[in-house]
Amino acid sequence: MVEIRNLTKYYGTHPAVQDISFTVGDHEVLGFLGPNGAGKSTTMNMITGCLPSTSGTVLVDGYDISKDPIEVKKRIGYLPEIPPVYPDMRVRDYLNFAAGLKGVSRNDRTKQVENAMERLHITDVQKRIIGNLSKGYRQRVGFAMALLGSPKFLILDEPTVGLDPTQVMEVRRLIQDLAREHTIIFSTHILAEVTAVCERVVIINKGKIRAEDTIANLEASVGGDLKLRLKVEGEITKVTEIIRNTEGILSVDEVEFDSVGVNAFTVAASSEAVRKTLMSRLIAEDCMVLEITSVKSNLEDVFVKLTASSRTQSREDAFEELGREMDEQRMADASAQDAEDTPAADAAESEKEAKD
Amino acid sequence: MFALYKKEVQSFFCSPFAYVVSALFLLVFSLSFISGISNMDSSVLKFSFSNIFYNSFFYFIFLIPLLTMRTFAEERKSKTETIWLSAPVTIPQVVFAKFFAVATVFLMMMVLSLFFPLVAALHGTVIGSSLACGYLGFFLWSMVCIAIGIMMSALTDNPILAAVLGEAAMILVIFLDNFTNSVLIQSIPFLSKIFAWFSTETRFGAFSQGLFSLSDLVFFISITLAVLIWTVIIIEKRRWSRG
Repeated sequence: MVEIRNLTKYYGTHPAVQDISFTVGDHEVLGFLGPNGAGKSTTMNMITGCLPSTSGTVLVDGYDISKDPIEVKKRIGYLPEIPPVYPDMRVRDYLNFAAGLKGVSRNDRTKQVENAMERLHITDVQKRIIGNLSKGYRQRVGFAMALLGSPKFLILDEPTVGLDPTQVMEVRRLIQDLAREHTIIFSTHILAEVTAVCERVVIINKGKIRAEDTIANLEASVGGDLKLRLKVEGEITKVTEIIRNTEGILSVDEVEFDSVGVNAFTVAASSEAVRKTLMSRLIAEDCMVLEITSVKSNLEDVFVKLTASSRTQSREDAFEELGREMDEQRMADASAQDAEDTPAADAAESEKEAKD
Repeated sequence: MFALYKKEVQSFFCSPFAYVVSALFLLVFSLSFISGISNMDSSVLKFSFSNIFYNSFFYFIFLIPLLTMRTFAEERKSKTETIWLSAPVTIPQVVFAKFFAVATVFLMMMVLSLFFPLVAALHGTVIGSSLACGYLGFFLWSMVCIAIGIMMSALTDNPILAAVLGEAAMILVIFLDNFTNSVLIQSIPFLSKIFAWFSTETRFGAFSQGLFSLSDLVFFISITLAVLIWTVIIIEKRRWSRG
């Protein structure tokens, strides 16, 4: 079990991670989600002991990273954002070296290295120099390195970055496969990945945890009305009229052209039961229903909602806010400068600048 | 720790690095050897290996930062340090593994230079004990320089800068003795005493003359250790303030 308690990290005066706490149980796959610069890598570096925390603790199987770093590190396999591969080494030599570094006994080494290479499909490049490999291969070599020493916990920092779509699929499958034997914490900013492999997610933004729950619960939390999407063959005005007049339909949100004579409608309904009435009414009016699906609000909505500033905002709002933030920043800078070298004219000028 | 040591030694021999530096070292050594032999009839300068050690070291010392410049700077630059930061090894182990690796490469170079005494022994007599003492002094002084070079490498993420800093430190190491003997410093006995204590050259001089003293041996070993411990502190400090 990995327990993270009140972990905080300051870079100088800039807070990178602020007071985050969460727990990862055994054999769990936890997605660590956040936009770029949210503090994901910093947190992972602290969990693996690469970076000391300003305050707070990380407990791995009861061992404290600051007190028993060796015990903790024995239990963790870490794939950092940039795989730590030596470009002048051959793949096999590198993995042998990494296995030795992790204290894998000499007899076990060959077996473990071969096992890891097979899992990552890099056996055919084992004799090649890492510097000559493509980014995807290097990533996989790094991944193989993380598996050596059969660590109980795997910490993967954006493991699919730089891979082609088939490789991404393979890595996802691999993560699912590994989840049987390992506990996995992996970070990403790709939402599909989380939905594909994780049971639980922690969403982090600006160094703070915004949400921590199972995916289903998170999706339910944004919930709102039930949305239906239908593809109907028939005259657009007529169909719209029928839909609108059906009992239980709250609104018609969107009408899109699909193909000749066919339009796609997105409507808000009050309950699932509306589907039946809607179908029968449309068919009765000679309108062919080609498709009807319920649109689930997904993790993407959760993510946007949580990582965008507190309220939902339109594009214009966002711009306005950005402008306001920049103004505030400039004001703060100006006053800081003011405190340093007081000339009043200077301050007035920067204030004017801020207003502009 | 042994895995890291082995990898470091291998990486020297996987690149042309160790070969080029060894070749330069042997060139320097052979040049002083030849000049020693050619001056033999002048009878002003007696041919001795201690002289060769003494002369060649002044050139050779500047090759040491080339050996050490990559140790930490390169790892920091290419972000490969995470592999040993996240592995169950301690930072002192890493520093010592890297130090021993460079020391091993250096030892190999010294073994190669045994060629010259062997050639000399074919046509003359070589005083074994004096030679051994010279080699020991040479080795010990180099250990101090290697430790300093590694420390310089830990200070920066640019290997070239590490080499330049290393060279500057080597100049300091060599000229500290001259500096101590300068009139200015001599006029302040307190300072000159301190500088004299740190000056490595006189101690190396004693070794190269075939004089072995325990205090010199302890001096070289403790300076090497102190510099390496300082390197550990630098790396730890950087880990805390990174970002």
